[in-house]
Amino acid sequence: MTVTEPHPARPAPRFVRADGPDKVTGSGRYTADLSLTGVLAAKFRYADVSHARITRLDVSAARAMPGVMSVLTAADVPDVRFGPFVQDRTLFATDVVRFEGEIIAAVAATTAEIAQRAADAIVVEFEPLPVVTDLEASLATDAPLVHGDWADYGSAEVVVRDRNDASFSSITKGDAAAAMAGADVVVSSRYVADGCHAAPIEPRAVLAQWEGDKVTIWTSTQVPFDARAGVCETLKLPANRVRIIVPHLGGGFGGKCGFHYEAHIAALARAAKRPVRLVFSRREEFLAPDRRREGMIIDITTGMRTDGTIIARSGWIAIDNGAYTADAGFFSQLAAMHVAGPYRVPNVSIEAHLVYTNHQPSGSVRAPTAPQACWALESHTDELAKAVGLEPVAFRKLNAVDTGAEGPSGQTYDEIGLQQCIDAATANAGYGQELPDDEAIGVAIGWWPSFSVPSGAYVKIDGDGSGQIITGAQECGTGAVMTLRQLAADELGMAAEDFQLVYQDTSVAPYDMGATGSQTLFNNGRAVVNAAGQIAEQLRKLAADHLEASPDDIVLADGHASVAGTPTATVSIAELAGIASGGELLIGHGSGQPPGPPPLVGSTCVGDLGMAAFVAPQFSCHAVRVKLDRDTGVARVLAVSTAHDSGTIINELGALGQVEGGVLMGIGQALTEGTTYDDQGKQRNAAMLEYKLQTCADAPPINTHFVQIATPDAGPRGAKGLAEAPNVATAAAISNALAAIIGRPVRRLPMTAERVWETLNEEAAR
Amino acid sequence: MSLLIATTLDDALAALAAGARPIAGGTDLVVGARHGKAPLPASLVAIDRIESLRTVGRSADGGLVIGAGVSHHTIETDSTIGAEWSALADASALVGSPATRHVGTLGGNVMNGSPAMDTGAPLVVFGAEAELASGSGSRRVDMATLWVGPGRTSAAADELCVAIHLPARAPRSGSAYLRLEYRRAMEIAVVGAAASVTLTADGAVDSVRVALTAVAATIVEVTGLTGGSVADVAAAAEAAAADQATPISDLRASDRYRRHCIGVMARRAVEAAARRASGETIAIPVNRAVGIGMAAGAAS
Ligand SMILES: Cc1cc2nc3c(=O)[nH]c(=O)nc-3n(C[C@H](O)[C@H](O)[C@H](O)COP(=O)(O)OP(=O)(O)OC[C@H]3O[C@@H](n4cnc5c(N)ncnc54)[C@H](O)[C@@H]3O)c2cc1C
Repeated sequence: MTVTEPHPARPAPRFVRADGPDKVTGSGRYTADLSLTGVLAAKFRYADVSHARITRLDVSAARAMPGVMSVLTAADVPDVRFGPFVQDRTLFATDVVRFEGEIIAAVAATTAEIAQRAADAIVVEFEPLPVVTDLEASLATDAPLVHGDWADYGSAEVVVRDRNDASFSSITKGDAAAAMAGADVVVSSRYVADGCHAAPIEPRAVLAQWEGDKVTIWTSTQVPFDARAGVCETLKLPANRVRIIVPHLGGGFGGKCGFHYEAHIAALARAAKRPVRLVFSRREEFLAPDRRREGMIIDITTGMRTDGTIIARSGWIAIDNGAYTADAGFFSQLAAMHVAGPYRVPNVSIEAHLVYTNHQPSGSVRAPTAPQACWALESHTDELAKAVGLEPVAFRKLNAVDTGAEGPSGQTYDEIGLQQCIDAATANAGYGQELPDDEAIGVAIGWWPSFSVPSGAYVKIDGDGSGQIITGAQECGTGAVMTLRQLAADELGMAAEDFQLVYQDTSVAPYDMGATGSQTLFNNGRAVVNAAGQIAEQLRKLAADHLEASPDDIVLADGHASVAGTPTATVSIAELAGIASGGELLIGHGSGQPPGPPPLVGSTCVGDLGMAAFVAPQFSCHAVRVKLDRDTGVARVLAVSTAHDSGTIINELGALGQVEGGVLMGIGQALTEGTTYDDQGKQRNAAMLEYKLQTCADAPPINTHFVQIATPDAGPRGAKGLAEAPNVATAAAISNALAAIIGRPVRRLPMTAERVWETLNEEAAR
Repeated sequence: MSLLIATTLDDALAALAAGARPIAGGTDLVVGARHGKAPLPASLVAIDRIESLRTVGRSADGGLVIGAGVSHHTIETDSTIGAEWSALADASALVGSPATRHVGTLGGNVMNGSPAMDTGAPLVVFGAEAELASGSGSRRVDMATLWVGPGRTSAAADELCVAIHLPARAPRSGSAYLRLEYRRAMEIAVVGAAASVTLTADGAVDSVRVALTAVAATIVEVTGLTGGSVADVAAAAEAAAADQATPISDLRASDRYRRHCIGVMARRAVEAAARRASGETIAIPVNRAVGIGMAAGAAS
């Protein structure tokens, strides 16, 4: 185990991100801004029905239209079923369509209008199949199957499947049933969350061009290497013939993780023998991707002693997988962990099902499953506190995990800062003060793992002393890639401005998992520090020769290599770089060993996808002051106070941005967002007018405190992740504020004005 | 497609006579076309550069004439409108975002004829009239006869709305427009209500008019309201609004919730209008001061 000491005395640095000026002045280029000579426009023909068998598919009229250069269906691409957990997906619908956004055909034409007319001219006839939309009904043994051939599909070995249950997972520790029977107080709750969307500002775009047997694809993905792997798998190409380049990415929030339309567009471009570009409309962005946030049903029962000590927890969770499994395979285990929560619970029995429906597929959106599960658990926790007559914060302090404590899945924590987070967030919120009776402060705690995965980077310093970081990491807006310059600079005694970033190109840089799982700084930071460390060693040797000293005595600082204790014996790094350019070049490459998973004791997990043990776990507490208009149910967030243990903060400015964005997204999920479906499983609000994101005008003041403590087995300098954690606890805290005002929780998410009003009326009717 | 950019009223009217449709800010017309509501008309005449349509002026009788091309931004910041026709300023201040308010016009809002238009209910309670002009002259129509259904007006295809006429305000009058909204910008009225109140010398309600947004096929005026104490009139407005509304259920709200909330909006509109009538200043838009979308730290 390595313990990295943070720098408590030094305030966290604040620096402006390198890509900021490009983005705010408009000089930055996004995928949809690019063009190539002879480029064609792509359009898809979607199923538009939720579940049906294709009885006729005729593209001849579309193919014959002037200006149409290629039309593709399943018949025109290799017959490959793919999916990271369950291989249940094909590029184009084959026999059965399972959600409205399923792609039946793709068209490339000289203009977008012609492509659309051709897509409309494709003849498709269906025989309707029963539409599955209800999670509980879908799990019934006699439910219609979303995938009739589910048993024949390939899947990752650990995935436990049964009919419409695409991934079952459980956490069992101790004997929950026996402990519950012996408990003094038992509280059971059901909470139901609607699905919602990532809604990045940039709709998806893909541009593909072939040269010989090699294809270059510019695409708005968060995971270029994953996108490459998808193209290689579905079009049967080796990795070295597919190059993925991501221009600036206009946000993703997880929605652009995974492999999406790169293969469709590459196949169209190959068939048309011309470059092809796809640019999604906002409506397509809502309907088609397999990355929306999952709806969930959450049942929780907790047994306590009269003093409020939790002794047992059981839970049952159903998660809406939608029609295909995408990357949601691990959601069942992750949801189970979030329903267990960061509490000392000796007896645990939680089961989670990832349930097929004929909805749009779910996939990783910023902290998948966590905001909904945390909302349910933390609302339930306030019910627990009330049941034993404890004040909610005191109840959490009593039961939450701390350094040296054992968590619900049998992991014992090294030094962690959850209790400090609770103290800081509540103190900064003025928790406990007298408030008007239509206001309250709600408190919730959350957690989130750091993801330990392989990652690589090169660093080089050219003859003039300027540096480049060539990294596989992907910048999706979080600023994580931007911090890499600071890490390299610190390693080499140089300034961040001395480095340029070369990134988002799979043929140039080594592998990285992409902007997913809050992993960029954690893993790629390690790679960059390693790579820069190799150059530091080279520089020390060069300086030692030049200054006639021992390499061990050379200190790199302020752009110079100097002999320790003899400041006059010094040479600039630029000069050393000049010397190196005539001999052994200054090149470093780094990857480093990712930290292994912490041990679990005393628990068993079925369907274990590696989420029961949290590497370098992050903790948070949000305290939110809410005002409720009782007459209408409209709630307004007046102020938010957060505290986060995400280890060492490398760039405070970037970190604050992450927390503020996560909080605002959480307010939206809590109050105004949420997908509504018709009885055929089709989305009713697939447009910005009716899908209500929060706006700048809604943003409350957000106060953030970082609890920075030494974190074992973490990322560079003890940093953990931070992109997803701020999204976990906000909705839960809002729920608790509302419950405090109303007198009971609102059991549906989002807690829309109308649902709040209904809850108020139920209360009045009692 | 043809687009004529008119700089004089006569050019615009001639274009209309030849079959063109007017486009002012385009925030309904163009956005609607992009969303597939209706394709852009083949022939358009832009009226946003006709200076005479962009002025606000007093009429001889102390009323106000607002050109059809006046933007929501101008209305929300005009001190005369804010002081005397506050409900209209309340409404314009809620439209969309700053960008929408700078481009979108009063004439476009009125002539687009959406049952959710924010300026409609205020104009009704003021007894406003729309001035419609064509090559063959001009006429003034009462707002209630202008709107005939969702998206439909009684104006002929060759008629341009050139101005909205607001009668002079009686002494001790105040007005307010409130809407139910789920967020503080880029919102469409779930329901809304405007009230205009004139007080007696001892502070009771002498006369009152209330009109409702987004609870029927067009903006509707509440009938049967009479004077009395502010509390009684507000309560009567609440009951009458909920009773007379014929709301639908859609994505934004159920009919049941709309019916309840329109009562709340009507009551609050009367209360706020009465406060203003008694001389109190409540900042524009009144929504921020009375619960819906309240600002941080605002008094309840
Ligand atoms: C993001 C966004 C938010 C919005 N929010 C709101 C809101 O909160 N509340 C609200 O009420 N509206 C809202 N709207 C709708 C719109 O902005 C307003 O209705 C605006 O006042 C329309 O004015 P315009 O000048 O842009 O109209 P245009 O789009 O130019 O025209 C609208 C219609 O009126 C006709 N027309 C325009 N001027 C005249 C005239 N002088 N005589 C005859 N016919 C005419 C046009 O032919 C067209 O049919 C919003 C729109 C957007 C895009």
